[in-house]
Amino acid sequence: MINITSESVVEVDNLSLEFLSSAGNLMALKGVSLNIKKGEIVGIVGESGSGKSVTAMNLLQLLPKTKINIPTGSISVLKRNVAEMTEEQLQVLRGAEIAMIFQEPMTALNPVLRVKDQINDILLRHKKISQNEAEEVSIGLLRDMKISDPQRVYESFPHELSGGMRQRVMIAMAFSCSPKLIVADEPTTALDVTVQAQILSLLKERAKKTETSVLLITHDLAVVAQLCDRVYVMYKGEFVEEGETRQVIGSASHPYTKALLNSLPEGKKPKSRLATIEDSLSNNSEELKINNKIISSTNKHKTILEIINGSIEYPKDYNVFGSPISFHKAVDQVTLTLEEGKTFALVGESGCGKTSLANSIVGLNQLSSGEIRYKGRNIKEQTPEVRREIQIVFQDPQSSLDPRWPVWKIMTEPLTVKQNPTSKELRIKASELCEMVGLESQFIDRLPHEFSGGQRQRIAIGRALSVRPKLLVLDEPTSALDVSVQAQILNLLLDLQDEFNLSYFFISHDVAVVKHISDMVAVMYQSKVVEMGEAIEVLTAPKHEYTKTLMSSVPTLDTE
Amino acid sequence: MSSSSEVNSNKIDKRLNNASLIGPFIPFIQQFTRLLVLLFMVTTLLFFMLRLAGDPALVLAGNDASPEQLAAIRAQYGLDKPLVIQYFNYMMNLVQGDFGKSLASGEPAMGKVLTMLPATLLIAGLAMLISIIIAIPLGAWLGFKPERPDRRAVSGIIFIFQGVPGFVTALIFIQVFAVNLRLLPSLGMEWGTIEYINFFADFSIPIPIPSKTWILPSCSLAWFLMPSLTRVVAANTSEAMREDYIRTARAGGASGKSVLWRHALPNALLGAAALIGTQFAFLMGGAVITETIFAWPGIGWLLIESTQTLDFPVVQALAFCIAILVFIVNAITELSFQFLDPRLRSKGN
Repeated sequence: MINITSESVVEVDNLSLEFLSSAGNLMALKGVSLNIKKGEIVGIVGESGSGKSVTAMNLLQLLPKTKINIPTGSISVLKRNVAEMTEEQLQVLRGAEIAMIFQEPMTALNPVLRVKDQINDILLRHKKISQNEAEEVSIGLLRDMKISDPQRVYESFPHELSGGMRQRVMIAMAFSCSPKLIVADEPTTALDVTVQAQILSLLKERAKKTETSVLLITHDLAVVAQLCDRVYVMYKGEFVEEGETRQVIGSASHPYTKALLNSLPEGKKPKSRLATIEDSLSNNSEELKINNKIISSTNKHKTILEIINGSIEYPKDYNVFGSPISFHKAVDQVTLTLEEGKTFALVGESGCGKTSLANSIVGLNQLSSGEIRYKGRNIKEQTPEVRREIQIVFQDPQSSLDPRWPVWKIMTEPLTVKQNPTSKELRIKASELCEMVGLESQFIDRLPHEFSGGQRQRIAIGRALSVRPKLLVLDEPTSALDVSVQAQILNLLLDLQDEFNLSYFFISHDVAVVKHISDMVAVMYQSKVVEMGEAIEVLTAPKHEYTKTLMSSVPTLDTE
Repeated sequence: MSSSSEVNSNKIDKRLNNASLIGPFIPFIQQFTRLLVLLFMVTTLLFFMLRLAGDPALVLAGNDASPEQLAAIRAQYGLDKPLVIQYFNYMMNLVQGDFGKSLASGEPAMGKVLTMLPATLLIAGLAMLISIIIAIPLGAWLGFKPERPDRRAVSGIIFIFQGVPGFVTALIFIQVFAVNLRLLPSLGMEWGTIEYINFFADFSIPIPIPSKTWILPSCSLAWFLMPSLTRVVAANTSEAMREDYIRTARAGGASGKSVLWRHALPNALLGAAALIGTQFAFLMGGAVITETIFAWPGIGWLLIESTQTLDFPVVQALAFCIAILVFIVNAITELSFQFLDPRLRSKGN
């Protein structure tokens, strides 16, 4: 740790903030005090809706002023009272002294402007330099971001770059005017683990070198552990705990922090029940113990699904008549076997072909060569009734449920494919399904948007269960959820597997989750399966180069 | 090119080589093929539909013509032959560039259309230009902060304008500017004059001077196009203002002006370009009502006249022309998407 002078960059004192709306005001921050010193990396960790992004945006005064009210407190950034500055004064400050890095590199860069225009804009706005000098500085910055061909990236449009590359551009933009403070709002959440590790070390290195203070907003305690000197834990608009990162993670004192740590799958016994926030906060430790038996997996080795030399190709270029002339191989000669009642996990980064493979199992796309055998027969030769035993749950419960359908209709739609049950029968069935997935059955008339993310994922699971499936394909079912909600869903999946002897084909990029839930694991890299075997074995003693990189990239709670 | 669907790497290489030779022209060849198919379908469909509409011989000869006169006329124009033969003859002539003669005047049908076409292109182009010049800045201003009371008021007025039919505006314009104020002519069309302005002894520059007759028709047509375009620009701008990259720009210290003109508007224009294309393609069919009210000698007016007299060759020639124009406008619109959106530029398809 470098010597931190006592000079304060950010001082927020007893800040409260409410959002004004006609439906009633919402208190987003309740008396928050925050302090960041020069050269310090400080984290705010919390779940979605806890108020962490609001805190960050407020430092730059980026919230719409007509829609907020600040009853108490003061914000001082670089010894200036930003709350009382005019928009023009703030524009001089933003980008030059305080910069921000945003979460979604896909949408946070302007799609119609080249990288060079976006970086040069900031430089030319705040520094008295010529166009040519700006170009030189920009390319130098991109090189500092360890981009191997800065000239090409400089000339590119955002869509021509990968997510990691875009985030490097974003960081280059943030550092361009050598600001005193950088606010990074979930800077790596949308990235693959291996890329995340690179971006985090880049950010840390650069910040320490230039003595720039960083405020890191994240939901991921492991990221905080890797990066931050100090951390604030936020819950419902309040900081419930703060301190040195090692101290907070090593010996958390507030029940919420403990709960948050407990809900992480990392370091827990595989297939054990994870503690949820509700469990921990209501102190149901006794009940927890009872539940914490290891769920026994049945030891019958019966094969339920096989993929033999499966390949999937997508057309890339077309000739004059519109027939494809070249192909992109999304899945390349994949062979794997799923056993009944077990969880088979497929790990890999985005674009490696996991979802293509999952979709081909449920028939959403077709293999271009190879075959899928279900219960020993080619899946194409099975009757629709048998094929219906395979169901899928998608990643984003926000967009995979029809927003205009009530829950009972969503959950029971698969039942109406062949038969015509009355809506009364369907509603009874829906109530049963709700009970099965832990939803209250009186909510079956509500629409999806009236539920939280975790509840929506329960609806999606209930929908898949409606036809009594044997095999569930789970495509990143917990990636869009908060860790504590993730814990609930993982618990639910384990319970359901135990009760109905379900087999899971579980797709994830999150190694900790996979380690927790799966029996077998296949690692996919660039369309191929590079390593396969017992989960514990593959993930603790990886053999393939890529698996090793993957495992070393996963941020851990270990602060050393 | 072989039609086999099997894919082996050898074949792919061969096809790729093929493709790279004609590669750059593929989009043009594709477009041209599409145009030919379109023209064939338009002419064929129209040929048979027009024959269903009525008997041109009756129109030519008049209602009190004797059966002998009718038969003579039918023989003269080849209308006595079976429909399929007529169609075949027509298509053969068409391929040779012969659209037949107008039944009403005996002039070549296509020639008649082509003399009327420039007037329509002129009024369509002018109206579109006026509409764009007003709608884009106005829409950007409205969409920048749509919740402000002044913008709400203006939006309301534009909403009302959108509901006013084109002919009402045209008639009000005539009443105000031609009848009451006597500022502008309301009927007919003149081509502008070209004046030569001398700079040096023997060096002069031609300056086109537009005619006053252009003003009322193009303005009333623009008045009709503008509200919807303004509203689309406004909606797209306010949507772009909510995007993440606007927040990024603001966090980098961009001023309100820069946020709107440099970051939000270029993204908002994508939607506007689609509407401009549709509107312009629509105008290619001739602004029938506007041309009629202002006695503007364009193809919209010709379309009405030739349909009323069942002047088949002229209607056919018109449809042919309009199909080509609409096709060109659509192709330009598609090209403009690629110009406006780099994401569409990098991939040919």
